Amino acid sequence: MPTDTDIFESLRQELRRGTLILAVLAQLREERYGYSLRQALSSVGVEIDEGALYPMLRRLEAQGLLASEWREEDKRKKRFYQLSNEGRGVLARLADEWRAINAALEPLL
Amino acid sequence: MSDLIDRYLGAVAALLPKASRQDIVAELRDLIVNRVEEREAALGRPLDKRETEALLREIGHPIAVAGRYGPRTALIGPEIYPFWLFGVKVLLAVAALAAVIPAGVAMLTAHGDARLVMRTVTDFIPTALTLIGAATLIGAAIERGWIGTEGFQNWKVSELPRVPKSKEWFFKSRFDGLFETAVTLLFIGWWTGAVEFPTGNVITTRGGEVALTFSPIFQALYWPILVMAVVQVVSGLILVMKPGWVRARAGAEIIGALIGLAIAAALWPAMPLVTLVAPEATVAGLANLQKTVDLTFQVALWVAVATNLLKLIVDTWRLIRGR
Repeated sequence: MPTDTDIFESLRQELRRGTLILAVLAQLREERYGYSLRQALSSVGVEIDEGALYPMLRRLEAQGLLASEWREEDKRKKRFYQLSNEGRGVLARLADEWRAINAALEPLL
Repeated sequence: MSDLIDRYLGAVAALLPKASRQDIVAELRDLIVNRVEEREAALGRPLDKRETEALLREIGHPIAVAGRYGPRTALIGPEIYPFWLFGVKVLLAVAALAAVIPAGVAMLTAHGDARLVMRTVTDFIPTALTLIGAATLIGAAIERGWIGTEGFQNWKVSELPRVPKSKEWFFKSRFDGLFETAVTLLFIGWWTGAVEFPTGNVITTRGGEVALTFSPIFQALYWPILVMAVVQVVSGLILVMKPGWVRARAGAEIIGALIGLAIAAALWPAMPLVTLVAPEATVAGLANLQKTVDLTFQVALWVAVATNLLKLIVDTWRLIRGR
């Protein structure tokens, strides 16, 4: 039988899932590669598992929200990601949605 | 250390689609090397083999890591799952009935032969697994859009089963419809020779074996009886799948009842319907058993006539009222 902690953890993961995409898109207003993106997110308190981050970046790119290119940095080839024009539009709309949800929920909480 | 990373990436690569394999592996390598460098910077020394292995374990099992890059479609997603579960329950109920009824017949007619009963019951397991597999394949095809589901999206509340206001006579639930359909399908299988009952036409009694010979009238009535059974299946399926179609079901029931009455009228003058042959029985004993069987058939025919007449009245009423 799941404990209270298990239930909380499962609900927390569910709550975070959608917001992580928002955080990733917001951080990619400027160009970053996967590892530097994770560090940037971590520095603002958003922890994300790399196992989830890299496939997410590929999905967002396949959806046309990100653009990427391979470049050499520190003598190693890295894949740099950045928001596409379409991605900027989607991020703006998602950010509005997030603010509206937040404004609606805040008085309830 | 490099050997461990190569092995790990090789295991992941083997599970990735060819088109994106090189790209994903290059990115994963960069991620791993970055993490190794970060860990080494914190420790102030290179990682040993055990520490590298622990770091790669943190990233995840190659199957899990490669799986994250695959398509995000579940085999049966949360929207299809309730339909899949309902379908599996229905199929298993039908398979259980198809196993239990011959087992019941075997138990009643084959004294002490537990193997017959066991064989029928164990037949259920592969049938059930096959049905679950078939339902899963169909569910997965629906999940991927290979099979359209427009029919499910156009469902109507008025086609859902009616809730009886109080205890109603002649009210049948979906389960009753399912039971009727399964039993009738089994009968059709037996009637057409597709399904063989464990005992055949021989009953084992405490007094020895009794062979049954059916009257030739049954051969003459082969098609009417088959048509009546098919009509019954149609009626049962309407109840299970479209319980709101009251008039269609009442129509099928009326046709079935009329055929049933005609069959009963044809059977009555052809008595005895079953002749018994028991070489080990005494003449008096066999005559007594034959008399009992004849009486049973006479009573059964009267019950069939009464039931079909009642069905005619009730279903004509349903046909007129539409509920």
